[in-house]
Amino acid sequence: MRPILLQGHERALTQIKFNKEGDLLFSCSKDHVINAWFSHNGERLGTYDGHSGAIWTLDVDSQSRFLVSGSADNTLRLWSVQSGKCLYEWEFPTAVKCVAFNETDDQVVCITEQRMGYQGAVRVFNINRDGDGTAQATEPAHMFNPIGSKATVCAFSYVQNRIVTGHMSGKVAIFDYKTGEEVDNNERAHGDEVTDLQMAPDRTYFITSSKDKAARLHQTKDLKVLKTYTTETPLNSAAIAFGKPYILLGGGQEAMKVTTTSLRQGKFETRFWHKIFEDEVGRVKGHFGPVNTIAVSPTGTCYASGGEDGFVRVHHFDQTYFKAKPYGEWEILD
Amino acid sequence: MADSATVKTSWADDVEVEELEPPKVEDYVDENGIRITVEYTVNDEGKKVKITRKTKRTLQKSLVDHAVAERKQWTKFGSEKGNKPGPDRATTTVGEELTFSLRAGGKPTADEEQSQEEKIRKQLTQSAGGGKVVCRLCKGSHFTAKCPYKDSLPILNEAGTETPPFQDDAPPTDGPSTSNTGGKYVPPSMRGGAGATRGPGESMRGNRDDLPTIRVTNISEDTQEQDLRDLFSYVGRVARVYVGRDRETGAGRGFAFVSFEDKTIAQLAIDRMNGRGYDNLILNVGWSQPREQR
Repeated sequence: MRPILLQGHERALTQIKFNKEGDLLFSCSKDHVINAWFSHNGERLGTYDGHSGAIWTLDVDSQSRFLVSGSADNTLRLWSVQSGKCLYEWEFPTAVKCVAFNETDDQVVCITEQRMGYQGAVRVFNINRDGDGTAQATEPAHMFNPIGSKATVCAFSYVQNRIVTGHMSGKVAIFDYKTGEEVDNNERAHGDEVTDLQMAPDRTYFITSSKDKAARLHQTKDLKVLKTYTTETPLNSAAIAFGKPYILLGGGQEAMKVTTTSLRQGKFETRFWHKIFEDEVGRVKGHFGPVNTIAVSPTGTCYASGGEDGFVRVHHFDQTYFKAKPYGEWEILD
Repeated sequence: MADSATVKTSWADDVEVEELEPPKVEDYVDENGIRITVEYTVNDEGKKVKITRKTKRTLQKSLVDHAVAERKQWTKFGSEKGNKPGPDRATTTVGEELTFSLRAGGKPTADEEQSQEEKIRKQLTQSAGGGKVVCRLCKGSHFTAKCPYKDSLPILNEAGTETPPFQDDAPPTDGPSTSNTGGKYVPPSMRGGAGATRGPGESMRGNRDDLPTIRVTNISEDTQEQDLRDLFSYVGRVARVYVGRDRETGAGRGFAFVSFEDKTIAQLAIDRMNGRGYDNLILNVGWSQPREQR
């Protein structure tokens, strides 16, 4: 396996995402730039320039037409994927920490940070897909302030009007965004901040990673913990491999402690765990800092990891990956 | 002075006097579809060099979504605006080859590694008397020098053979296996039952020959490790490649050792590669002889 190194950022990566067909990869980092790459050869399609702060988060719709990004310059922006133009801009009192599209691409959820006397808020915007996309509503369709621990990550559930959130305290909850009511929660899903939340393709289950060194697979219906993957480093990201029963975990110790520890100790590897047996099956080395974000292509043929070192590494799986059956001859039926 | 000034306009022009001939290039595609580019250039030493490049292009077709095909035609934007299609070296590079295999059981975690280390340490301390102070005379828990029976008892041997202390005419216990004699220093490798069976980690070499290794001779000077790895990886998994090189010049000395993980694959490699042409030379492949036998 030969990784493709993408050097489009000067600072730590914050999030990377594949589009639905897996041919485009979007990456954002703390250096105010969003990059779009062709995943098959690592060619850069372009950059989305305009943000004036660290970009914490992005998401792309299923048609690869619109891209949303949230930044520390307190704005949420809507971009045209093809032209790189900013179509619309929403401004908030605080930084945007997480954005996500829903399944039908007509809504966007965003989390703004709790800071400077402002409460953390969850807003849902209706996206007007007619025309060129510049005619958007200024005000959010729904907005509420989750009480208690602030929300860090979120995604739409498969149930209507519901979103799943991960919190600073380690809580995972389901909210009804119309009423702002907390429908269900699992207070003790994690022992520390939830750092990433990624949905399975059908949204019936999702994975969360946390600073408490564990990643967990939850059922969206009732937030029951299905599987737990316990490692020895704080985790920054967790992804579900498509087509194969694996979980990809990325982490490493805090960026501020990197210089005082050796590379070996740092554990800056992407770890592959078996989804069912909760057992580690392999590791991929490469980054010089903690792995901040991992994304798996929906085609299941490649994955990418973005690190604190500013690199994105795209790995196309080779034949051994597809042939490997570490636990013998059996397959999971969908 | 005026004369010379007109002839020599500037000293900088002097350098550019000899016009460089544009390099001659022949470029054609032969009947097998292999593109051959022949280039004639003059190298630093003023010698004419002929460079022949043979490239074979294979077209890989894959069926993609209509939308994906369309996206490939998109024009670049932002910082990439106006750049030609294809990956740019400045932003896209190919990393080193990674070996990645999936297997059950996982790798030992840091804690396990540590516990293994501890286990070894424990073994060591146990073999060295458990770290406790034992009197060599009466086996009490004090230093030998402070033993109350210092004058009356002969020194017991460390191995703890239970010879009664006063039986002076007892037969020599176990003969050679009790290598310890009194308080004489014994190197750790010889402790605990003669040097007949040496444990791991004592010989710097021995271990290297665990893997089935073949010896490849008659390779060209500029064959690299990676070339051989590529060549032999068609047969099976290559564990290690060593190319013999001249210490001063770094040029190959015409031989290499290739280790495989499996003996049958190594045999297969010998069968297949022996006598085969590579780099205009005929390879000579056989089993590598262990150092002592050579």
